[in-house]
Amino acid sequence: MIADQFRLLGRSAVGAFVLLASSAGMAAAQTGSLNGRVTAQGSNQPIPEVRITVVGTNLAAATTAEGRYTIRNVPAGTHTLRVLRIGYAEQTRSVPVAAGQSVAADFSLQPVATQLEGVVTTATGQQRAVTVGNAIAQVNAAAVVATRAVANVGDLLTSRAPGVLVVPGTQTGAGTRIRIRGTSSLSLTNNPIYIVDGVRVEGATGSSTISVGGTLPARVNDLNPEEIENIEVVRGPSAATLYGTDAANGVIVITTKHGVVGRPQLTYFTEQGAHVDRNDYPTAYRAWRTGTTSTTNSTTANTVQCFLTQSAAGVCMQDSVTSYNLYNDPDATPNGVGYRQAHGLQLGGGSQALRYFLHGEWEGENGVLTVPQFDQRYLAAHGRALLPEEQRPNHLGRVTARANFNMALSPQADIAFNTGYISQKLRLPTSDDSGINGVAGNTYGGPGFKYNVNAAGDTLFGYRAFTPRDVYQRNSTQAIQRVITSANGNWRPTAWLAARGNFGVDYINQTDTQLCRFAACPDLGGDSRLGFKVDNRTNFFTYTADGSATATRRLSDALESKTTAGVQFTRILSDRNGATGISLSPGATTISGAGQLTADESTSESRTLGGFVEERVALNDRLFLTGAVRSDRNSAFGANFKTVFYPKLALSWVASDEPFFPKPSWLNQLRLRSAYGASGVQPGTIDAVQFFSAATTRTESGDSPGLVFSTLGNRDLKPERSSEFEAGVDGTFFSSRLTTELTYYHKSSRDALISRILPPSLGTGATARFENLGEVRNTGWEALVTAQLVQRAGFGWDVTLNGSTNNNTLVSLGGVPPLVGTTIQQREGYPLNGWWSRPLIGYEDKNKNGIIEYNKDVTLSEVIVGDTAAFLGYSSPRVEAALTNGFEFFQRRFRLGAMIDYKGGHKLYNNTERIRCASRNNCSGLVNPASSLFEQARTVAVRETPSRTVAGFIEPGDFIRFRELNLTFTAPGQWTARAFHGQSLTLTLAARNLGILWTKYKGVDPEAFGTTGNAPSEFQAFGPPTYYVARFSLGF
Amino acid sequence: MTSHMRARSRHSRLRRAASAASLAVVAAGTLALAACNVSEVLSVKDPDIINPNDVQSAAGASAVRLGALGRLNAATSGGSSGSEGLFLLSGLFADEWINGDSFIARQEVDQRVITPQNNFLTDVDRLLNRARLSARQAAALLKQYNPTGPVADVAEMYFVQAYVEDLMGEHYCNGLILSSVVDGVEQYGSPITTQAAFEQALAHADSGLALLTGSSAADAKVRNALLVTRGRILLNLDRPKDAALAVAGVPTNFTYQMLHSQSTNDNQVWVYNNVARRYSVSTNEGTNGLNFATAKDPRIPVCTGGDAACKAIGVTSKTRDDLTQPLLVQMIWPARDNPVTIVGGVEARLIEAEAAYRVGNYPLFIQKLNQARTEGGVAGLPATLTDPGTDVARVNLLFRERAFWLFSTGHRVGDLRRLIKYYKRPAETVFPTGAWHKGGQYGTDVNFPVPQAEQNNPNLPAGQSCIDRNA
Repeated sequence: MIADQFRLLGRSAVGAFVLLASSAGMAAAQTGSLNGRVTAQGSNQPIPEVRITVVGTNLAAATTAEGRYTIRNVPAGTHTLRVLRIGYAEQTRSVPVAAGQSVAADFSLQPVATQLEGVVTTATGQQRAVTVGNAIAQVNAAAVVATRAVANVGDLLTSRAPGVLVVPGTQTGAGTRIRIRGTSSLSLTNNPIYIVDGVRVEGATGSSTISVGGTLPARVNDLNPEEIENIEVVRGPSAATLYGTDAANGVIVITTKHGVVGRPQLTYFTEQGAHVDRNDYPTAYRAWRTGTTSTTNSTTANTVQCFLTQSAAGVCMQDSVTSYNLYNDPDATPNGVGYRQAHGLQLGGGSQALRYFLHGEWEGENGVLTVPQFDQRYLAAHGRALLPEEQRPNHLGRVTARANFNMALSPQADIAFNTGYISQKLRLPTSDDSGINGVAGNTYGGPGFKYNVNAAGDTLFGYRAFTPRDVYQRNSTQAIQRVITSANGNWRPTAWLAARGNFGVDYINQTDTQLCRFAACPDLGGDSRLGFKVDNRTNFFTYTADGSATATRRLSDALESKTTAGVQFTRILSDRNGATGISLSPGATTISGAGQLTADESTSESRTLGGFVEERVALNDRLFLTGAVRSDRNSAFGANFKTVFYPKLALSWVASDEPFFPKPSWLNQLRLRSAYGASGVQPGTIDAVQFFSAATTRTESGDSPGLVFSTLGNRDLKPERSSEFEAGVDGTFFSSRLTTELTYYHKSSRDALISRILPPSLGTGATARFENLGEVRNTGWEALVTAQLVQRAGFGWDVTLNGSTNNNTLVSLGGVPPLVGTTIQQREGYPLNGWWSRPLIGYEDKNKNGIIEYNKDVTLSEVIVGDTAAFLGYSSPRVEAALTNGFEFFQRRFRLGAMIDYKGGHKLYNNTERIRCASRNNCSGLVNPASSLFEQARTVAVRETPSRTVAGFIEPGDFIRFRELNLTFTAPGQWTARAFHGQSLTLTLAARNLGILWTKYKGVDPEAFGTTGNAPSEFQAFGPPTYYVARFSLGF
Repeated sequence: MTSHMRARSRHSRLRRAASAASLAVVAAGTLALAACNVSEVLSVKDPDIINPNDVQSAAGASAVRLGALGRLNAATSGGSSGSEGLFLLSGLFADEWINGDSFIARQEVDQRVITPQNNFLTDVDRLLNRARLSARQAAALLKQYNPTGPVADVAEMYFVQAYVEDLMGEHYCNGLILSSVVDGVEQYGSPITTQAAFEQALAHADSGLALLTGSSAADAKVRNALLVTRGRILLNLDRPKDAALAVAGVPTNFTYQMLHSQSTNDNQVWVYNNVARRYSVSTNEGTNGLNFATAKDPRIPVCTGGDAACKAIGVTSKTRDDLTQPLLVQMIWPARDNPVTIVGGVEARLIEAEAAYRVGNYPLFIQKLNQARTEGGVAGLPATLTDPGTDVARVNLLFRERAFWLFSTGHRVGDLRRLIKYYKRPAETVFPTGAWHKGGQYGTDVNFPVPQAEQNNPNLPAGQSCIDRNA
């Protein structure tokens, strides 16, 4: 039945489209052509890449590098031309076209700080932003990359789009976590999807099959920012409806660079940079005591101490307290200077018939981790040396290439072929959250003095159990070979009809390896020094095929209609083979050289087929009404669920263009907009089905294949459905020198897929089953203000302020009991992934001995803990803001820019300090009489109260960061021509993450997350380094 | 034709061809998608999973049986990825092991203050129930699809169910739940008492024994396993005389083992004690604990991390995972693939000894204890026990013998609870008590609560974990 409905929808779409097409009555008539030149007001310089459209038709053209354009086959009659270019005010002009004649129409555009009349990429193609009922954030990637210290897409997006929360990686090659308009899904991914040049690409976070702790790559960072022209962020279901199932968390639409008509332009650029870790890491403390036995006498070889509460109880007496911070000791710190360099060449140009863009680049970046000086001495003294890859365990090497071609086949047809190739090799050290194997775990867990010794008598220089010379021998790599290719065709058989088609593939070959050679790596006991090798190879394929057609017609002088119908197919496939070898022969580095071999295989596939119809009506080119519906079927839906429908309705009204609207001189444009839409997130590929799994059992006859019941499945499974309403007002003021954008959104995820925990008593292999039960709500405000405060010939000052708020509430769990974790709980009426623990209600040094003590008797206890777990705070920021200032001086040859950003309203779990106090026994609150009473109280609460509450370690996460500082010099053209025979020369000095200006957080850094989950905590993680980059670019 | 005209002609052909290609891209995708069969396009087969239809055969049933044995392995001396099986967690809760790492959830168990949301508790509960469910499914499949196959295979599946249900009765509070999945549909159980769990275990043991009429080696092995398990269950039901009768024919050298290998199913005692050092052998834990580590009893050979004996088995570190000392390491299972006896003839003799004590036949009581020592297969263990002369001492001796023979095999918690229930000893005289070794005091738990995750069972009253926490 539902399948029939689906087909019916498709047929209806085609039928409606044909009907509109046939009724358009725009029979081929005699035509003429338009041509002209577009220049900038004031400078009279030609403007390339200006989009000129014939209103009411699909006819359009872009200007060449010389600012020229031509539009052929324009039906005779009077037409309105619209001229759009980011950075310039929109213009329209009425132009009469006579059959067989060529009409000239030149334009002179006014530069503005920014403007609302841009063009945005939607699922139905490029549209004027003013016609779209949503605010779609744009990042001019090419401009950002040229003037900032940007190493990856995460850096590109950080704090540049309101409502887009980006947590950058903390190590070279580390992933980026992106959340748009809050966290919507309780159990499924909250990652947005990525579209590059019209095709879906893989953007997974935590993308590795081997364990190195919490720091793992994200596939979106494979993309080279140098190749990106523009990024648009489609923030929610109200705008993402036509992207279909999976788009509920937002869509990041990336457009790569393409050639501009004109003579070839060759650009060489290089980046040379250094980065250092300027974070303050916690100091380790040790309280020494003297005793008569091995368990009561402190030595450098044992862990015997006298804690504050023991001292207060008279169990022992502190002789002294020592402290040591190995990060502050040049002899012991694992941090050095990381270096980054890149060299690239870009070539672009072409004719109206064929444009091309070619790019090639090599990058190399070392992380900050190095072999400490004491380890170098040790190795030299013992005649040993680490391998080069062990000396710099964090490294990214990448080669990227891109070839984009745009062919104008005829005035009616054009086609683009875009292909990008990425080859990269990443080394990640076992660092954060890796326990005894990790660098960070060993630095945080030190004993509070420098010269501790291990069982072999080696001095550890303040490290807990192993030093970098051992840890770095675990060599973890990820090799990526990736090709993203797409073909985009456009066909405009008539002035009123346009068809588009996209086909593309994103192919990734990912090889993850981890190697511990024989007699290498930390000695964990057992057979750990016999060596091992893991080699996991995965192929990812993401296929996209879609097609659509748009009919445009003028229903009257005032009314214009645009009808689009289309279909889309997406196939996502991953196919993995893994092998592990344990007990390597001396010198062996492959699995073949291992004594015990195991292998595994896994496959995952998902397919989505969708269709959509959209009708957009424009009244007097100032009121735009859009209605659409998309229908999807997906291979992961349950057997009892076939098709999902997502509706969309949007309104955009340029009120200031109405005749009745007042026209004060300071107002240029005022637009009101509103949109409603729905989208979804699909379940996993096998979440709906019931199945057994293979399992190996040891029997008398050896390892034998067995089968175990794995999961119950859910035949009723359907996608999680998010619907969203947003409304906003956009304004342009004071001769376009001030623009504002204000948006309110209300997003509700119904049929929320809850990973419903299965009662253990059932005995199923799976611990949970997806059920469509819950509801999650996100509401908030987003604002963007851009102002050109000073605009003189020799000096300019522009300011951009963006901010957003988010209120997240788990409205319903659908009758499922609260999901209770150690520190995270999911309860109705509270935010998703909120922090919960038994609260530290109070503390008081009642006996005035300077030490907080616990006593079973509440009247005597100096620390009071609540009886039940209580909500302690959001785990994600609720408020974000970024302020960017730009100054141009010396005839605007120099531009100085700076960005500071704020994130707050949330709490962070300082899990590093928790483990230092609870079990590493080296935190100040445990042993240091000079520690604050609060530090002591939270330590006593986690160690000595029956609650063992960690509430004291869940701290305010608010911070203000000095995110970016950059200075760019653009040489005068005459200099460049004389000195280099070139066309352009720019030099940029930039720094990223210059430090925290203010925070309430006591841990290393409020963005020091190794993990990429929904509630990341700082657990033995490194803080983000500070990057300093010099960039030189020379164009010929 | 001039070269210019030829070039224009070539260019024109090229444009036409490219135009056709453009059309093809636009049209082919659209038409292909419009014309295709939707169901076919969306049809995906995942090769990783086994369809329920695939187990509906003799071979499939046999594979499910092997799976059930693997599940039992994981639930007892094995474990799942990242967590341990019952034998370790049980010993941590009792006085066999002490905690040597930083995980709060393990420390809760060691300190006897277990919360229902404790993840290790939940993991173990799942492991036990998986073994139960797998055995139940295998028994049904074997009967249906291999009715002429070895009955010992079916009986062994009853043994697995009986054994696990008995373990659960020994460890959990009143209010534990035994659910199931029948024909792919969940059948939620309701809270039952430990008494009811033991009775269900007894019924499964009897069902298995009823099948075994032959005398093959397989029949004998499963029969002995069932008999010892039956005896153990009867002890838990406070029927020592019946228990002794049940195990009378089981030879002392009988063993039913969980096998481990180099590549799969690691011996988790070795992993967590000898390698990860998250567990250390306990000695005199919390005043009442036995001196497992220092007794120098050949049944529990123990070395200290870093000493010669430990180095000989590859344990070079002197410290536990939390860097405290000493690290006390068991040497019963010094390698990854050492098998673990989960049911054996020694236990049969111990059951007989207890039954003899309960009827006041003290000579037989001592004789059975010494018989176990003589025939138990441990070199250097003198069989020279004598009647200590008092009831308190006899009970102490009995449970000490059981503790040393059955170390870290999931018996100790049940024994401590029986000491409370049937020997009327206060809980604070049998479980570790007083100051906990990492700070604070021991709690008062004498059993495991039903995990918080069980709240998703509609038959469990909201907010209820246990009916009571009595021993």
